[in-house]
Amino acid sequence: MTDLFPNAWHVARREYLQRVRTRTFVVITAVLAVIGLGLAGLPLIGQVLGDERAPTIGVYAADAGLNTDPAQSLELALNAIGSEGGGDGSGFEVRSVDDPDAAAGQVRDGELDGLLTIGRAPDGELTFDYLSEESPASRALLGVRSAASQVAIGDRLARAGLDPSQAGALFAPVAFDLTPVDPNAQDPEENFGPRYLVALAMTVLTFMAVLTYGQWVATSVAEEKSSRVMELLITAASPRQLLAGKVLGTGAAGLTQYAVVVAAALVGLLAQGVIGERLLGSAPADPALQGVDLAVLLTFAVFFAGGFLLYALLYAALGSTASRLEDVQQVVGPMVVVGMIGYFASIAGLNAPDAEWVRLLSLVPFFTPYLMPARLLLGSVEPWEILLAAGLTAVALALALWVAARIYSAGVLLYGQRLSLRNVLRAVRVDR
Amino acid sequence: MPPVSLVVENLQKRFGQVVALDGISFSVEPGRIFGLLGANGAGKTTCMRIVLDILRPDRGSVTWQGKPNIALRRDTWGYLPEERGLYLRMKVIDVLRFFAALYGVPEAQATREVEEWLERFRVPEYRDRKVEELSKGNQQKIQFIAAILHDPDVLIMDEPFSGLDPVNVQLLKEAFLEMRDRGKTLIFSTHQMETVEELCESIAIIDRGRVVVSGQVRDVKRAMGRQVVRLATDGDDNGSAWVEALDGVSITARREDFIELHVPAGTDPEKILRAALQRSERVTRFEIADPSLEEVFIEHVGRPAAAEEERHLAAAGRAGAELPQP
Repeated sequence: MTDLFPNAWHVARREYLQRVRTRTFVVITAVLAVIGLGLAGLPLIGQVLGDERAPTIGVYAADAGLNTDPAQSLELALNAIGSEGGGDGSGFEVRSVDDPDAAAGQVRDGELDGLLTIGRAPDGELTFDYLSEESPASRALLGVRSAASQVAIGDRLARAGLDPSQAGALFAPVAFDLTPVDPNAQDPEENFGPRYLVALAMTVLTFMAVLTYGQWVATSVAEEKSSRVMELLITAASPRQLLAGKVLGTGAAGLTQYAVVVAAALVGLLAQGVIGERLLGSAPADPALQGVDLAVLLTFAVFFAGGFLLYALLYAALGSTASRLEDVQQVVGPMVVVGMIGYFASIAGLNAPDAEWVRLLSLVPFFTPYLMPARLLLGSVEPWEILLAAGLTAVALALALWVAARIYSAGVLLYGQRLSLRNVLRAVRVDR
Repeated sequence: MPPVSLVVENLQKRFGQVVALDGISFSVEPGRIFGLLGANGAGKTTCMRIVLDILRPDRGSVTWQGKPNIALRRDTWGYLPEERGLYLRMKVIDVLRFFAALYGVPEAQATREVEEWLERFRVPEYRDRKVEELSKGNQQKIQFIAAILHDPDVLIMDEPFSGLDPVNVQLLKEAFLEMRDRGKTLIFSTHQMETVEELCESIAIIDRGRVVVSGQVRDVKRAMGRQVVRLATDGDDNGSAWVEALDGVSITARREDFIELHVPAGTDPEKILRAALQRSERVTRFEIADPSLEEVFIEHVGRPAAAEEERHLAAAGRAGAELPQP
């Protein structure tokens, strides 16, 4: 057996340089970078367009005979509920209106989000009528309703003779702490949302890398075969060197593309804060990166790289069995299916990161890159599980290189009708 | 003392039901040019691939200077495959440096040698051109350079002259002789018998996976046991009127200015000369020669190589549509 290097390095270098210099690569990378930038900037754009302005509610209470300003107490109550509920922090704005008909018109025009009309029933109870486009189950409506109850209760207490300052004390927030069952568990209230998004992003990144760059590898092998440069290559270097070089070179080109796109997205996220402050006087909600530490990112990088190499090697082996470029799509079918299974398992796993089947699948090398990020971010993983998964991936890589080299060395010399796997395997038996 | 030559012994190879090689044996002396002749599908390419160890035989062995080929370094061999292929979108210099690098040739040395060879092939301006901009013939020159940059001991070339114009054939022949003079061993396959006559000291003719005859060109020809006479005379239509009356002599070709005769073993060619002197006004040409390789080929294979050539051209049209590799 010949050593992998330096020949794998020469092959990888050629592959990388040829790839990143093509116009297709440059154009697609640029387009993806623009898309990345756009997606990252979406919240800001939304804010600028005004979708996210604070909800404003009008209150008309002239007929209620209240001795306090209902607008003020409603605003206090609404925003207290909002922040306690872990909401998005967008405060409600409540203002008194003098002309209920004009205000109702404003609600219909969308200038106001709702109009609360407070009246008094003959029995002395307050009545509330809320005019709004909100659906009956909406969170905002629940908030308004609960705030209205507080105003009504305050009113009852006042009628019962309680003085307003005592009534205020009644509504002071209570001391309420949450003790988690597992103190080591991540605080789900605080981080689940952003962490979920990051895990989802990692899954999608893995899926796209495997599919897109795997396809590159297979196509590139088939190209060398159909242009007949292959025969020179296998005389000059061993199948293992060629395969390793091809996969590393293409992988590096893919990573370059990823790096550009991710960098563009990061610029988008960071710029958002700055521009948002300039433009709107307030930064938009924190980017979804809290709770993701370096260890998680490094582990993801390792599994991502391992998974990509594993898939790419097999893509290359299958690509070598195609005689023409048109056949590539067909011969790599099995790997596409495996990749899809991993992807969908991962999407399902995001919602059940600690399920038994997720734990088991996450140790299978083909699925590790998909499921480990979800478990790391959303579930609980023992260190030994990570080491075991990494070890299994390494073993699978060595095995894949061996198998792929065999299929490749037989495949690259076989031309003709689409080769059945049986034909190739027979050729493998008699070749090296 | 171990054999210093390339020894191919009893190679057998099947592809499914097809027997590609059925016990091929021959040997090539170092520093010689060796011709591998055979019809399309005779097994030449399979044989070469086995020597190069990119294909393994079912049975048999290949040794070079006493060492089995599977134990030899890759840079022992230089290979020019029948199906030409280079990275079309790369510059000539980059492609050649890449292959040189795979064989461990330092970049500076590779660059120097590429420039030297381009000069020799009279195309120095191709250095920085993309391969796809070159004509087929010129791509073939580049491919030849790719095969020799790492200074291999043995050069194996599959149909190196096919598709070349006469000028380029001549340039390539000169390159062959140059390599031989540097002490390299050259093996090539071809359909063009004149080229073999011109370059090869030894040959093997392969038919249906077997060697039908091999050895030094002179010996192979002599073993035919007959000779060829080329005769031109004045006044009697080159003697074609009377010559066939002679015992066993037959006319094999009538050319514009001479005829070619087969003289069977045991007949003295001088008998024809004596008859010609008596019957015609003047003998302007009398030449005794060994049979041509073309004739040797027909004798052993039963078909002329020229017809094979045509079939080969037809086959080239439906490029490489057959399973493994005849």
